[in-house]
Amino acid sequence: MRNKIILSFIGVLSILCSCSSYLDQAPLSTITPENYLNDESQLGSYSIARYSIFPTHANWSFGTFGIDAATDNMATPSYDNKYVPGQWKVGQSGGDWDFGDIRQCNYFLNTVEPKRKAGTITGSLTNIKHYVGEVYMIRAFAYFDKLQKLGDFPIVTSILPNEWQALTDASKRKPCNEVARFIIQDLDSAINLMQTTAPDGKKNRLSKYCALQFKSRVALYEATWLKYFKGTAFVPNGTNWPGKTLNPSYQFPSGSIDNEINYFLDQAIVSAQQVADNIQLVNNTMTAEAETGKDFSVASDKNPYCAMFGSVDMSGYSEVLLWRQYSKGLGITHNVPCYEQKGNAAIGTTRGMVDGFLMANGLPIYAQNSGYLGDDSAAVAKKNRDGRLWLFLKTPGQINVLYANSSGDHATPVELVPLILASSAEDKFTTGYVIRKGLNYDQIQDGNGQGYTGAIVFRAVESYLNYMEAYYLRYGNLDAKAQSYWTQIRNRAGVDPDFNKTIAATDLSQEAKNDWGAYSAGNLIDATLYNIRRERRCELMAEGLRWMDLKRWRALDQMITTPYHIEGFKLWGPMQTWYSASSLKYGIGDGSNVSDPALSNYLRPYELSKTSLAYNGYKWAMAHYLSPIATQHFLITSKDGKDVSTSPIYQNPGWSTTPNTGALN
Amino acid sequence: MNVKKKFLCLIALFAWLAPVIMSNGNEIVAQNSAIQQKKGSVSGVVTDKNGEALIGVSVKVKGTKIGTVTDINGAFVLNNIGSTSELVFSYIGMNSQEIKVDNRSSISVKMVDNSVNMDEVVVVGFGTQKKVNLTGAVGTLDSKELEARPVQSVAQSLEGLVTGLNISQNQGSLESKPSINIRGVGTIGQGSSGSPLILIDGMEGDINAINPQDIENISVLKDAAASSIYGSRAPFGVVLVTTKKGKAGKMAISYSNNFRSSSPVSMPHMMDSYTFALYFNEASKNGGSGAFFDDAWLKRIQDFQAGKLVNSNGYPMTTVANGTHWADYGGANDNVDWYKAIYKSSTPSQEHNFSVAGGNETTKYYFSGNYLNQSGLMRFGGDSFNRYTATAKIETKLTSWATLGYNTRWVRQDYVRPSSLGGGLYSDLARQGWPILPLYDPNGHLFSSPSPALGLRDGGRDKTQEDWLYQQAKLVVEPIKGWRTTAELNYKTDDQFRHWDSQVTQNYDVNNNAYVYNSYSNVHEAAYRTNFFNTNIFSEYSKEINGHNFKVLVGFQSEMNKYRDLTADRQGIIVASLPTINTTSGFDSSGKIASPSVSGQYYNWSTAGFFGRINYDYKGRYLLEANLRYDGTSRFQADKKWNYFPSVSAGWNIARESFWAPYEKFISTFKLRGSYGSLGNQNTVDASGNVVPYPTYTTMPVGTANGSWLVNGAQPNTASMPSLISSTLTWEKIKTWNVGVDLALLNSRLTTSFDYFTRYTNDMVGPATEMPSILGIAVPSSNNTNLKTYGFELEVSWKDRLSNGLGYGVKVMLSNSTTKITKYPNATGSLSTYRAGQTLGEIWGYSTIGIAKSAAEMNAHLATLPNGGQSALGSNWSAGDIMFQDLNGDGKINSGANTAADHGDLKIIGNSAAKLPFGVELTADWKGFDVRAFFQGVAKRDYYQDSYYFWGAWKWGIWWSSGLKEHLDYFRADASNPLGQNLNSYYPRPLFGDGKNQQSQTRYLQDASYVRLKNFQLGYTLPNNITSKVGIQKLRLYVSGENLLTFTKMSKVFDPETIDGTWTGNVYPLSKVISGGISVNF
Repeated sequence: MRNKIILSFIGVLSILCSCSSYLDQAPLSTITPENYLNDESQLGSYSIARYSIFPTHANWSFGTFGIDAATDNMATPSYDNKYVPGQWKVGQSGGDWDFGDIRQCNYFLNTVEPKRKAGTITGSLTNIKHYVGEVYMIRAFAYFDKLQKLGDFPIVTSILPNEWQALTDASKRKPCNEVARFIIQDLDSAINLMQTTAPDGKKNRLSKYCALQFKSRVALYEATWLKYFKGTAFVPNGTNWPGKTLNPSYQFPSGSIDNEINYFLDQAIVSAQQVADNIQLVNNTMTAEAETGKDFSVASDKNPYCAMFGSVDMSGYSEVLLWRQYSKGLGITHNVPCYEQKGNAAIGTTRGMVDGFLMANGLPIYAQNSGYLGDDSAAVAKKNRDGRLWLFLKTPGQINVLYANSSGDHATPVELVPLILASSAEDKFTTGYVIRKGLNYDQIQDGNGQGYTGAIVFRAVESYLNYMEAYYLRYGNLDAKAQSYWTQIRNRAGVDPDFNKTIAATDLSQEAKNDWGAYSAGNLIDATLYNIRRERRCELMAEGLRWMDLKRWRALDQMITTPYHIEGFKLWGPMQTWYSASSLKYGIGDGSNVSDPALSNYLRPYELSKTSLAYNGYKWAMAHYLSPIATQHFLITSKDGKDVSTSPIYQNPGWSTTPNTGALN
Repeated sequence: MNVKKKFLCLIALFAWLAPVIMSNGNEIVAQNSAIQQKKGSVSGVVTDKNGEALIGVSVKVKGTKIGTVTDINGAFVLNNIGSTSELVFSYIGMNSQEIKVDNRSSISVKMVDNSVNMDEVVVVGFGTQKKVNLTGAVGTLDSKELEARPVQSVAQSLEGLVTGLNISQNQGSLESKPSINIRGVGTIGQGSSGSPLILIDGMEGDINAINPQDIENISVLKDAAASSIYGSRAPFGVVLVTTKKGKAGKMAISYSNNFRSSSPVSMPHMMDSYTFALYFNEASKNGGSGAFFDDAWLKRIQDFQAGKLVNSNGYPMTTVANGTHWADYGGANDNVDWYKAIYKSSTPSQEHNFSVAGGNETTKYYFSGNYLNQSGLMRFGGDSFNRYTATAKIETKLTSWATLGYNTRWVRQDYVRPSSLGGGLYSDLARQGWPILPLYDPNGHLFSSPSPALGLRDGGRDKTQEDWLYQQAKLVVEPIKGWRTTAELNYKTDDQFRHWDSQVTQNYDVNNNAYVYNSYSNVHEAAYRTNFFNTNIFSEYSKEINGHNFKVLVGFQSEMNKYRDLTADRQGIIVASLPTINTTSGFDSSGKIASPSVSGQYYNWSTAGFFGRINYDYKGRYLLEANLRYDGTSRFQADKKWNYFPSVSAGWNIARESFWAPYEKFISTFKLRGSYGSLGNQNTVDASGNVVPYPTYTTMPVGTANGSWLVNGAQPNTASMPSLISSTLTWEKIKTWNVGVDLALLNSRLTTSFDYFTRYTNDMVGPATEMPSILGIAVPSSNNTNLKTYGFELEVSWKDRLSNGLGYGVKVMLSNSTTKITKYPNATGSLSTYRAGQTLGEIWGYSTIGIAKSAAEMNAHLATLPNGGQSALGSNWSAGDIMFQDLNGDGKINSGANTAADHGDLKIIGNSAAKLPFGVELTADWKGFDVRAFFQGVAKRDYYQDSYYFWGAWKWGIWWSSGLKEHLDYFRADASNPLGQNLNSYYPRPLFGDGKNQQSQTRYLQDASYVRLKNFQLGYTLPNNITSKVGIQKLRLYVSGENLLTFTKMSKVFDPETIDGTWTGNVYPLSKVISGGISVNF
C-alpha cells in the first residue's frame, strides 16, 4: 500500500515535469523577420504603413488647407514665434533631428532589395517593383522634409547598428546639395520602378508621375536655395558655412555652385515636363461670374475644378496624382468640411493673398484702368477678378449646403457674416476672409469630426508651375512649352492669357505690400519672375507649399529691417456695420477684440493689444530659415557627454547650442 | 431581475433555510446531551501567580461553545456541566489551562504568565514556523481583522493592516483592482514589474477573486530570507493566504450577511452656468481672444437659472435652436453639474456567506459559498458587479502515515457597465462637461453634445464574465516520525469572456425629429483562457538532539502557464436588442462592407526551481536559517536561463537566556533578528504592464486591416520594422538586508516589532544608454539600471482587559520606504527622466513670491530681474500673474539646462512618494458589545499636478479647461467684476492657452497627506444563554462603515487616495459605505 501510493504519485509527477525542453519556449503566434517581406502583398503592406508621412487631413484641424497658416497667405489667431525673433528657441531635446521614418525605409530597402535581385520574392514582378519604388519615394520624401528644415543632413542608407561610435560617425552632416542629389537618386529609382498607374488603380497609391513631380519640386527647391543663398552660411563654401570644419576643401560635384544650380534646374525642367505633358488640367466650367446665390453653389458643385478639392472620390480627376481616401463607416474621418463652411478653423486668408489676384483682364488691381472696385466687402473685392478668387473666396449669404442630411448637425448652411469676435477655433474668422477651396455641398459631411472628403497630396499643376519657374531661372526666358503651360493655367483661371500684358503692368513696389515673394535676399525681383511666382501663389493657394516657396526664395530678409503687418479684410470700411458698434472693442489693452482703426482700416489680428509681441509687425532673423538642432543631440554625440564642441554635429547658422536661447542673428 | 427582487428572494431563501439549519443544530445538541451521563454546576475562583483575583478570564467547556468569564472577584459559575467535561481557562498574557471536572463542583485555578505564546505558528514558505523562532521579516494577519468589512475584495480590506504591505485603491469603478506592493518601489517599471507573489494555499492566485470569509490567515513574507524559497517569482515579497479547513468535531455551520449603501466620496462640484460663463470669458479675454459668451448669451444663461425660459410644453429651454438643430457649445444655456448628473448619490449592495465545516479524526471537510452583489454609481445605463464563489475542501487519512487532500475553489465575477464608461469619461467630464450643455433638450430627450449621458444610457453595454477554477491535490506521507514529504499538484484555469457593443444613438432636432447622433454600431467579443499548472514537491526532516533542533527541507517546484485568446469584432447591429456577432451585418453605417476584425494569440512561459532550507536552533535561543534556490525560466536565452539565489538569517532570543530571568516579568520576549538574501526577477512586461513572455525574440509588427490610409475604400494590412531587442537580457538581481527586533512587555500586553531594511534592485531592466538619434529606433531595454529602496516597519500593539470586563486594544502600524535611483543611463543629468542619485518622487519647481496685485507690483518685480525677467516662462506679465523667485541670482527666471548640474531657478520643492503610510486600529468589547475603528493614512506626501483639473483655465486652451467650484478663487483686479474683486486669490488670473503661471512651483504644491476612517464597526453578540436555546452558538449583529471620514489639507478637487488613478486624478470616485448585517454560527 505504502509503496503503491508513493510510486504512483511519483510516476504522475515525473510524467508531468520531466520534459527536457520544459524551459524552451518560443513565440507561438507572432511573425519573425525571416518569415516576412517575402511576398508582394507583404511589401505592399509595409509600404502603405509609411504613407502617413504625407500631409493630409486630420481631425480638429483645417487639414492640408491649413498648412499655409503663418505665412503671408494665411493667418492663425495668435502670432507665430518665427516672426518674433527671440521667441523661437533652441530645444533641449527632440525636434527635427529625427530618423524614425528614414530607418523604416532603410529596413525595408536593405531587407527587400537583395531578395528582389535574387528573385526570391513571390508575386507579380511589376507590383514588387512598384512597392519597392514607393519606399524609395517615401525615403526621398522624408529626406526632403529634413532638407527643408535643417539643410545639411547625414545621409544614411544602411540599418545602423546600436553602437555609439558607429552612430556618432554616421551623424556627420552632408552638404545640402549632396542631400538633394541623394533625394534625386532615390526618386530616379522610384521613377524606374513604379508604374504610371499604381496597382490600386485609384491613385490611392504612389505612381511614377508622383515621383516625377516630386523630383521637380526637390530640384527646384535646391536650385533656388543655392541661387538665393549663394555666398552665405546657408550653402556649402559660403561665408561662415558651419560645415567648413568637417569639409575643409569641399568641391561641388559639378565643379561650382553655379553649375550645381544649373544641374538642379535641368533636373527640375526635365521631370516637370514629363508630368505636364502627360497630365491634363481639370476643366473649369464656370468661367463667368453670372451665377449668384444658390445658382453659384449649384454651378460650383458641378464644376470639376471646384469639386475636385472637396470630393469624396478623387480618382476621376486627371490632375490629382495621389489622394487619401476617408470613410465614415471605418471611422477614418476629419473635420475639414465643417471648417470649410465656418471660419476655416480660425485660419484666415490675408488681405495680401486676396490683393495678389489679378483682375480677369490680366491687370494687377493697382494698374491704371484695371477696373478694380476696391474691397469694401469681400463680394465687391471679388468682382471682375481672377476666377479663382471669386470661386474660392467665400462671401456672407452664399449657400453652403445643397443636399440636406440630418446627421450633419454641425453644418453652416448659409455663409455667415464673419465671426471675427468669436474666440474658439471652431467659430473664429481670424482675418474676416475665408475660403471655400475643399468645400463639399453634402450635409452628410458636417457631423462633428465626421467628414470624409478626400485629401489631395500631389496635384499635377505644380509641375506646370515648376517648369515655368525652372526654365525661366535657367534660361532667362520662357520657351514655347512654358508659355503654353502658363496660358493653360490662366485660361482655366478665367484670366486673360496674355501674361506679357500683366508683366508690363506690374509694379514690384506695389506687389511688395501684399506679397513676401516679391523679394529675394531683400531685393525686389524682376516682373516676369514675380508673375511666375504670383501664378504659383494664386493657383496653389492653401495647398501647403507657401512656406517652402518663401524659404527657397529667401523671401523674408526684408523683414529684418522692415516689419510686415498681417492684415485681414477692411473692417473699418462699410463692413463695420455688420457688427454692433459697442461690440467692437479696441485700444483698451487686453480686452480689445479688434485692431484700432488708427493703425489701419484693415483688421490686424496680432495688433489688438500693445502687449502682443507682434504688435509692431512681423519681423525676421536670418537663423529662422533653418531650424535649430536641439542641445541633447550634440551632447549624446560628444566625447564626454558634456562638451558639445566635440560632437561631429554642427549647429545651423545663427543658432547656439544652449537650450532655450533664441536666434543669435 | 432588479436588485430589490433579488434581495427579497434571498431573504426568502434564508427564511426557508434557517429552520432547517436550526433544527439540525438542535439535533446535535440533543445528541451530545444524550452521551453525557451526569450534570451539575461547577464554580471556582481564578487568580494569578501572586494570588490576585483575575477578572475576565474565559472559562469554556472544551469542545463546546458553552462558557463564561470570571467576575470582579475572579469567580465563575457554570451550570449544567457534565461530570466528565474538561474546562479551558484562557486569558491574555497567560498560558491557557485545561482542567478536567472529575465530578468536582469547585475548581480554583492559578494562571501562569505566558511570556511568549509558545505554540503560535506562522505560515511560511512550504511550511509553518513557530512565531518565536522566526528569523525573517514576516507580517501576519488573522481573519478577525477582515471581518464585516463592506468592501468588494480582500485586497481593499488589507490597506493599512500589515506594515510594509502597501495597497492603493486609486479609483472606485467596480472592476478596478487595488495595486499591491511590499516595501515600496521594486522596479521603475520600464520593462519589468515588481509586484509581490500572491499564493493561495501554496498556488498562485488572484487576491481580488476569493471569498473573504474563506480566509483563515494571511502571512506577508517581506525580506529575502523569508521569500527566497520561492526564488524568481518572489523577489518583491510574497503574500501567503491560507484558507479555512474542517476540524474534527461537531459540524460548524455559519451564515453571515451584509447590506450596504454606497455613496461617492470627494465628488467635484462644477460652477453654476453663469459663474462658469463669466470665468471662461475672463480666461478667453486674458488669452487675447475676446469673450466667448456674448452679452445676449450671458443674459439667457441668467434667465434660465431664474426659471424664465420654459417652452409651451412646459419643458425648460435648456438651449436654443441653431438652424434645425439645438445649439451645444455654441449657444446652450442649461445649468448642469455633470458630476451630479452622471453619478447617483447612493446605491445598494449586499453580500451573503455560508459555510459548513467538520469531520472526524480521519476525514475533515469544509464547504462554503459566497455571493456579492454590488451596484455602481452610474445614473445612466448603470453598472454592477456580482461575485459567486464555492469552495470545497476534503482531507482524508489513507493510512496512519499518508494523508490525501483535495480542494477546489470556483470563483465567478460578472461585471456590467455602459460601453462608453471608459477611462476618458472621468477626466473628460471636467473639461467637456460644460455646465451650459443641455442634459435634456427642450423636448425632453437626453441630448448629446457630446456630453456623456446619452451614450451611457443608449450607447451599448460592456459585460465581462471571468471564472477561476482552482484544483489542488495534495499527498502528505510521513513514513518515519519527523520525515514528511508533501506533493502538491495545482491546476488553475482562468477564463474570461467579454462582450461589448456600441449602439446607434439618436439626438432629436428642433422639430422633435430623431436623427442619428452616433452612427457606428458594432459587437465586440473577446475571450481568453489561462491554464496554469504547478507542482510543488518537498520533503522535510526534523530532529532534536539535546536541545539542538534541526530541520532540513528540500524540494522542487515547476510552473507552466499557457495563455490563448480570441477576439472578434463586426460592425452593423441588425436589431438593437440583439447585439451578437451572428446578428451583425458586416456593413458600416454608410452601407459599405467593413471587414470584421479578428485576432487570436498564444503564449507560454514556464519556470522550474530546486530549493533547500536548513533551520537550526539551540533551545530556541540561537536561531539560524539558510535557503538556496536554483531557478530557471523560459524567458531568457539558454545561457541566461538559470541562476542561484541564496539567503541566510539568524536570530537571538535574549529573553530565553538564563541571565534574563530577572527581567522576564517586564520583558517576556526580546529577540534580535538579521537576514540577507539574493533573489531574481524575471517578470518582463511592456509599457502597459502586460506580460512579455519572449523578451529576447525579434518579431515583426504586423497589422491586419488596420491601416488608416485607405486603398480602394478598405483598410489595408500594415507592417513596420521590428524593434531592437537585447538578446543578453537576463534576471534582475534583488538583494535585501534586514534587521529586526521583537519585544513583548508587561505580560505581553504590549508587543512591538521593528524592522529596518535595504533592498537593492540591480541590473534592473530599463532603457539602455541613450544613443545618437541617427539610430532611428528606440534602444532596447537592457539590464542597465539600479535602484535602492530602504525603510522601516514598526508595529506596536496594546491589549488589555479591565476589571469591569472591558477589553480594549490599540494597534499602530507605521512604515516607510524611500527609493533612490543608483544607476541610470542619463549622462547629462537631465531632469526630464530618471538620473543616478535621484530620490524617487522628487518634484522640481520654482519658488513663488506671490501673485502681483497690480501691474506696478509686477513691473517692480521684473525690474529686479534685469537679465531677461521672467521671459523664459512667458511674456506679457501683468497684475494677477505669478512672481517667481530668482534663486540663483542671475537676474532672470529659467530652468537653466534643466539638468541636475544646471537647473536655473528650479529646486526640489517636495516629494510625491507616499511617505509614512500608517494604520491605527482601536478595538473594545464589553458585555457582548464590540467596537472597532480603523484609521488609515499617509503622514507625508507632496503633490503637484499640472492639468485643467487643478488649474481650471489651462494652457492648452479652451477645450482643455474646466470650471470647478475651487477655481472660482481666481484673481480679479476689477472692483466692478460681477463676481466681486478678489486680490487675495489662490489662483492667478485665468488665461486660456498660456501656461506661464502654471509652472511647477511652491505655491501650488499640495499637501497630500491624509487620515481616513477606513472602517468603523459596532457589533453586539447576543448572550450565549439566550441564543443557545435556539441552537445558535453565536449571533452577532453589526453595523459597519467604510471611508467614513477623511482629513486632508488637499484642494477639494482631489481625493488624496485617487490622485494616481489617472492623469488628472479625476476618477470614478471611491465610495463611502454604510452597512449592517448579522453573523450566525450554529
